[in-house]
Amino acid sequence: MKISINWLRDFVDCQLPASELEALLRRAGLEVAGLDQRGAAIDHVVAAEILESTQHPNADRLSVCKVNDGSPEPRQIVCGAKNYKVGDKVPLALPGAVLPGDFKIKTGKLRGVESEGMMCSAKELRLAEDSEGLLILPPETAPGTPIKDLFPTETILELEITPNRSDWLSHLGVARELSVFTGVPVKAPEPALPPTASAEGQVRIESEGCPLYTLRRISGVKVGPSPQWLRDRLAAVGLRSVNNVVDVTNYVLFELGQPLHAFDAAKISGPLIVRAATEGEAFRALDGREYKLPAGSLVIADTNGPAALAGVMGGEGTGVTESTTEILLESAVFEASGVRRASRAMALFSDSSYRFERGVDPEGVANASARAVELILQVAGGSAELSLLVSGKCPERGKVSLRHARVRNLLGISLTNAEIESTLARVGLEKLAAGDETRWSIPGYRRELRREADLIEEIARVVGIEKIPSLAQGPFAASSDADAAYDFAMNFRRSLAGMGFHEARTSTLVSAADVSHFGDAVALKNPFGDDQSQLRNSLVPGLLAALRRNLDQGAKSIALFECGRVFRTAGEGQRLAIVVTGERHETSWHGETARAWDVFDLTGAVRQLASLGEQDVVPLPSPVAPFGACAEVFLHGKKIGIVGQLTPAVAREIGAPSPLLAAEFDLDLWRATATAKTSVAALAKFPGSARDIAFLAPLALPYGEVRSLIESLKEPLLESVRLFDLFTDSKGEKIPSDKKSMAISLTFRSPERTLTADEIQAAADHIKAALREKLSVDFRE
Amino acid sequence: MQQQADALRTEALELIASAHDVASLEAARLKYLGKSGAITALSEGMRHVPKEERPVIGKLLNDLRAAVTNALEASQKRLLEAADLAAFASLDLTLPGTFPSPGTLHPLTQLMDRAVRCFRRMGFAIADGPDIETEWHCFDALNTPPDHPARNEQDTFYLPDGRLLRSHTSSVQVRVMETTPPPVRIIAPGSAYRRDEVDATHLAQFTQMEGLYVAEKVSLADLKGTLEFFFRELFGAGTDIQFRPHFFPFTEPSYEIDIRTEALGGEWMELAGCGMVDPAVFEAICERRGDRVYDPEKVSGFAFGFGLERLAMNLSRIPDIRMLVENDLRFLKQF
Repeated sequence: MKISINWLRDFVDCQLPASELEALLRRAGLEVAGLDQRGAAIDHVVAAEILESTQHPNADRLSVCKVNDGSPEPRQIVCGAKNYKVGDKVPLALPGAVLPGDFKIKTGKLRGVESEGMMCSAKELRLAEDSEGLLILPPETAPGTPIKDLFPTETILELEITPNRSDWLSHLGVARELSVFTGVPVKAPEPALPPTASAEGQVRIESEGCPLYTLRRISGVKVGPSPQWLRDRLAAVGLRSVNNVVDVTNYVLFELGQPLHAFDAAKISGPLIVRAATEGEAFRALDGREYKLPAGSLVIADTNGPAALAGVMGGEGTGVTESTTEILLESAVFEASGVRRASRAMALFSDSSYRFERGVDPEGVANASARAVELILQVAGGSAELSLLVSGKCPERGKVSLRHARVRNLLGISLTNAEIESTLARVGLEKLAAGDETRWSIPGYRRELRREADLIEEIARVVGIEKIPSLAQGPFAASSDADAAYDFAMNFRRSLAGMGFHEARTSTLVSAADVSHFGDAVALKNPFGDDQSQLRNSLVPGLLAALRRNLDQGAKSIALFECGRVFRTAGEGQRLAIVVTGERHETSWHGETARAWDVFDLTGAVRQLASLGEQDVVPLPSPVAPFGACAEVFLHGKKIGIVGQLTPAVAREIGAPSPLLAAEFDLDLWRATATAKTSVAALAKFPGSARDIAFLAPLALPYGEVRSLIESLKEPLLESVRLFDLFTDSKGEKIPSDKKSMAISLTFRSPERTLTADEIQAAADHIKAALREKLSVDFRE
Repeated sequence: MQQQADALRTEALELIASAHDVASLEAARLKYLGKSGAITALSEGMRHVPKEERPVIGKLLNDLRAAVTNALEASQKRLLEAADLAAFASLDLTLPGTFPSPGTLHPLTQLMDRAVRCFRRMGFAIADGPDIETEWHCFDALNTPPDHPARNEQDTFYLPDGRLLRSHTSSVQVRVMETTPPPVRIIAPGSAYRRDEVDATHLAQFTQMEGLYVAEKVSLADLKGTLEFFFRELFGAGTDIQFRPHFFPFTEPSYEIDIRTEALGGEWMELAGCGMVDPAVFEAICERRGDRVYDPEKVSGFAFGFGLERLAMNLSRIPDIRMLVENDLRFLKQF
């Protein structure tokens, strides 16, 4: 919404500079999105008529012009532009003028020919960002007119209006607000024509949605171009001039906020009826397009059919044209919901529908009509019928009660009754009943004030939040389940970051291909595109996309994780996922050689994260896509996730150079299953003793079987089992190629005494015997 | 004897002084104090000394032994220190350290956690609600008119069953009040969605932090004090905070909060929306709950919400919002 400060000053005598005005409006809740300075405040630049133009004797591209600058003698000007003809009026900078950019104009010779000034383009006067050739002024411009009178300086405010304040959609409305905050009274336009006389007839409301409809007949108008002041005002708010009558209706809309429409009375047959359209009824609007109206949309119709779509747009066939001499001027109230529905249904939006959708002031209908009549008579001549044709009536004013104690409690400020009352009076409310509880009559332009809470807001706004104290207090709050979930996830985030993984955040919205491997998924009804049509059911595809992006950027080592929501038809859940590929570490000066991430790094990380034993990571005999090999992760016997290596096909697809690894966990289940440590283990008082055993086992024997066999023996002195060497030899040189060598360190300890060599030997032998017997391994002696 | 002892002392001290490594020092020790060393041999001669001379000779020998021992110890200390120094001299501390670099938390997580910690200090608990919401929780209960543009399929993602992806985390306010009687004092960090074309300043999915405090006698002064405290905790005591009247369907009065601080570039920046919970919201909750514990005549409250992406972008001068979801390690490693 554009507001001209000059226009605003017609209604409120407020000489604040634009910047202070802006601050004041912000404080009132009117956001100023932009300030636009217009006009040309340059001395010694006048309008001049080009009298003759001849070729410059010494320069192909220049002309020598004689111009009339309003003084008796013509002036000679050398000019490089080509876009003019003799008789045109153009801006002329006289010697002594200083154009924007500190460009001083003086008399001088151009290629030997004297030039007494410079004819200007719009750009040179800062009237446009860019322009070609001279600025051609309207033909009626009198030579000698100062340019600053033709382009008066003007500041335009671009306001963002919140949907609750339809009254701000006009200059008068913004002026009222300025008045509230400055105390300067508002001078609303008081049209000369008394709007009191009214009569029934020629107009009839036959449908819901139009509480008040008025028409005024004006005869003998002469439709033509608008005067400059009217064009300027409309240009200031971003409107193009159409003709004097239409311009006046637009002018009044921006001035008072009341949309108006002028019908050509000669093209109206019979009475105008406000009625609901029938389904599919045809309507050709002023925009030249044919619309099929949905049933129920409100139209203004004569015997030939709809002449206007109520509150949205007039019809082409009944509009004002150059030949119009008699008009019917509509000023009415249409209900917001009906206008919004019709406007949306036809995707037809106008300044008029914008205001009706938010609500117009029913008390202003007659005044706006009178104001428009006054202006039409002024700019287009003719005479108005004194009687206003009225159907319906102005709705009653709203009345709202206010408990002053509630104002004080809700705002946390001790205002006196007098302060509360004077505040509401400033806003324009009328007090109906006094006391600790007052009752207020609401003016038509503030119809949105319907409840006590609305009045309290108004008091807060006008009093100003800077007057409200700042309290720092509050009750204790017990932690919630969501607190526990937040902390649980945050602990994992910190642990994973500490372990070298980087946290990613990927989009919830993914493609159909992204959800295909992970079970059922939820699709959107109105996605923005196919690649965002589903809600993710796994974090892995998003992380793989991030991984791919990093590969494309040349990253050598990628270790990402994410904590986030996934969506299944059964509901939402919190997941944790990790993806890694590339170098685990680089070759260093310290002697380490480079090594790629492998699946054991990831299973190891997962075990650390969940404090799991080796036995809790259980290989899945037939891996699930997209894994080529994977293991399920168990916590207290509940499956909380999966970890493994993705198939080479997936790795190839995203260009991963080395094993591509992933893990994903159900954090909700994990949290539900996790138990807090309730006691610590006693610290060992006696030394432990390690015995290393080494053996050859069949190549196919998994280490897990060795480990579980040893554990199954429940050897009481055995404290821990650690695999510390694994060796295979495909050439069969050191050990047979169908065998593998394993070396395991067994630690024995008793909580009660130092073990004897014999006890340790007996326990180790027991284990060795079992391995030999059950798993056919050969001990290397 | 005296002469013998003096000669031995001179000789021994010279040898010890000339020892330049541990081995020659040890050789010197053995030569004088070893089992068959010169001083040991001299001491053994004590047997043949007449009884009355023994104290004098004994003292002489003890002094000699002490002098040699002291010289040996001093030399040994000197050599050890020199060896230690030599060892450090070869230690090149300019060599790059070898501990692997840790990972990082996403900048939004770090910012969210800062905010969470601050609100927890003020006694707020975390609350949660689903991303997939009903229209009632997202709009109806929040006093949003039936034909409000936010409900439009152009602006909000819908599921075929009529549910939607919440367009703000304010739906969590409704979830909390629906299930928990007052007082409630919660914050709700989470995702929200708008059907926007993704560009340098817009994402279809973004992160918000919602807050709600409902109890008896909660006032606008509480709202002001709470949010001023929060933003000054986050950005520093010198932060300028401005509450600008605004409009939201679910609060009245409503404000937008503008912040100005060096940390955010020294310009006013619109950061948050807030206000006193609209009585219509309480009425909707009462109707749903079937009781009057949220009767607007009995309780009042404030609510607020802000987006984390814009905040993170301004705090770290991130030029393009998409950098927050691209997960480029060159970006992530900077946090």
